[in-house]
Amino acid sequence: MTTASRFLSAGVLMVWGVVLAYFCLSGRIIAYLHPAFHVYTAISAGVLLLLAVVLLLTVGGESAVSKGVSLWKQVFASLILVGPLLAATGISPSEFGAAAVENRGLVEHISDLPAFTVPTEPALPTADGSIGPETPIDAASYLKRTETGKIKAETVDLLYAAAEPTMREDFENKDVELIGQFLPMRSGNPTGDRFNLVRMFVMCCAADARPVAVAVQTGDGATFPDMTWVKISGRATFPIESGRRSALIVADSIQEIDAPPETFIY
Amino acid sequence: MEGAWFTFRIEDFSYAFLSVLLEGVPFILLGTLLSGVIDQFLPARWMTRFLPRNPFLAVCVSGLMGLIFPMCECGIVPVIRRLIAKGLPVSCGVTYMLAAPIVNPLVIVSTLAAFRGQAALEMTFLRLGLAFFVAVIVGLAVHNLPIATVMKRRVLESMALSPETSGGSLRPLGQRLVAALQTGVRDFLDVMVYFVCGVAVASVFSTAINQEMILPLALNNWLAVSSMMLLAGLLALCSTSDAFIAATFVAFPGVAKLAFLVFGPMMDLKLIFIYSSIFTNRFVLGLAVGLFVLIGLLCVRLAVLGL
Repeated sequence: MTTASRFLSAGVLMVWGVVLAYFCLSGRIIAYLHPAFHVYTAISAGVLLLLAVVLLLTVGGESAVSKGVSLWKQVFASLILVGPLLAATGISPSEFGAAAVENRGLVEHISDLPAFTVPTEPALPTADGSIGPETPIDAASYLKRTETGKIKAETVDLLYAAAEPTMREDFENKDVELIGQFLPMRSGNPTGDRFNLVRMFVMCCAADARPVAVAVQTGDGATFPDMTWVKISGRATFPIESGRRSALIVADSIQEIDAPPETFIY
Repeated sequence: MEGAWFTFRIEDFSYAFLSVLLEGVPFILLGTLLSGVIDQFLPARWMTRFLPRNPFLAVCVSGLMGLIFPMCECGIVPVIRRLIAKGLPVSCGVTYMLAAPIVNPLVIVSTLAAFRGQAALEMTFLRLGLAFFVAVIVGLAVHNLPIATVMKRRVLESMALSPETSGGSLRPLGQRLVAALQTGVRDFLDVMVYFVCGVAVASVFSTAINQEMILPLALNNWLAVSSMMLLAGLLALCSTSDAFIAATFVAFPGVAKLAFLVFGPMMDLKLIFIYSSIFTNRFVLGLAVGLFVLIGLLCVRLAVLGL
């Protein structure tokens, strides 16, 4: 085991530790992982840097690192480990483009996004002591509103509302405001006055993100570059189209905005 | 159906690639550090004392070890490499490697949650049962194979030559701790090379292939099961979250989703690379084909349950 290969291993660990620490400290990690995973990445950054230091401090002693592996093989392996990581860190825009979003298939009905139940309160005993049915939570307790009284909604809320009559009552024909990314509607848009508003729904990381889309109808057919962040104000409607009830926002105003700090929905 | 079936953009690829690396590194690091600890502190043959002497029972017990020692598929390879070096039979190691990413408490909870309203109990029970059954079948098959056809020669040589296989218990604690870290680092760098390559290939497929192209295959059980296993292999998802993705393929029959949930954590693009770090290429290829055929056949037969 040569000193050179030990320095090489320490260098690789150092690069990985620094890159992971950079993602955590810069906040860029928000665009990549579900919050539940952030702490693991942060801990890994620290552990990798610590391991690099331990390797460097024990240079000269007996080592198990890279035992039996030639230096050239180790140089090649180090390039594989470091090159793509640094290149991807430089290239990645921290969000998907329209092509990748469309390749994943838009989630336009809540049945395509399972694990949903209507928010309910725990059942209370009835007069005869039996357990009564669970009651839906009062919408006022969980719906947030803007200063002008519009309901602040997410794309996923409207998909839920389209499928659940009790939730639909909370949104139908009400003024709503929501943000998302502009994506032209490639089909089901004969009059050309609709587009999709998309948010990425994430379970673990961006690689498993599903694009949740709500149709938006405009008077004049809005156009923005694909995946531009926009804020929509309008009326929530739930027409039955092609035999299924869908969410459709009839927009009053569409405004381009900066990407929010938290681009995912969970 | 609209759009091209393949649209590659380097930006999308980089984004998906980085997100899987950031998610996977902590689990690989945990696995490799654990492998260092096993290497230095676990006495040789300690594992075999707790396993039944009967090979069939030993393989069965190994298939359930994930319930007590849960590991994800990314971090498990360095762990079993060290356990095998400590005397765990290869058949038991392979069984644990295949079963533990599925037969563990976290996956039980996530599958139940993801399939809420879609026969969650049945799906969870079938997922665990089928994974255990398949892992045991593979373990018993490996039991009858010469070890040289399963493990890479250089891995076997490093096990045979390693002075640490005795546990290194005669050295001072500080030295053993440093040696454990060094062993962990070696395993980490070994596995990460394969992981990076596997994630790169999987990221091309997860961003560039139009996943709606497979929807017409949902109408036939054979095609649905095969295409969902193929998709699981290409997407290379984590076993703790794959149920949430599988559940969204509402057009596909339940048995196709079951095939996705059992095949994916056992064999995908990144795992092919990671397995290649310790197993012979021939064994990895045979394992991939065998799992595809076995899980496919079993899932198609399970269609009678009407999932």
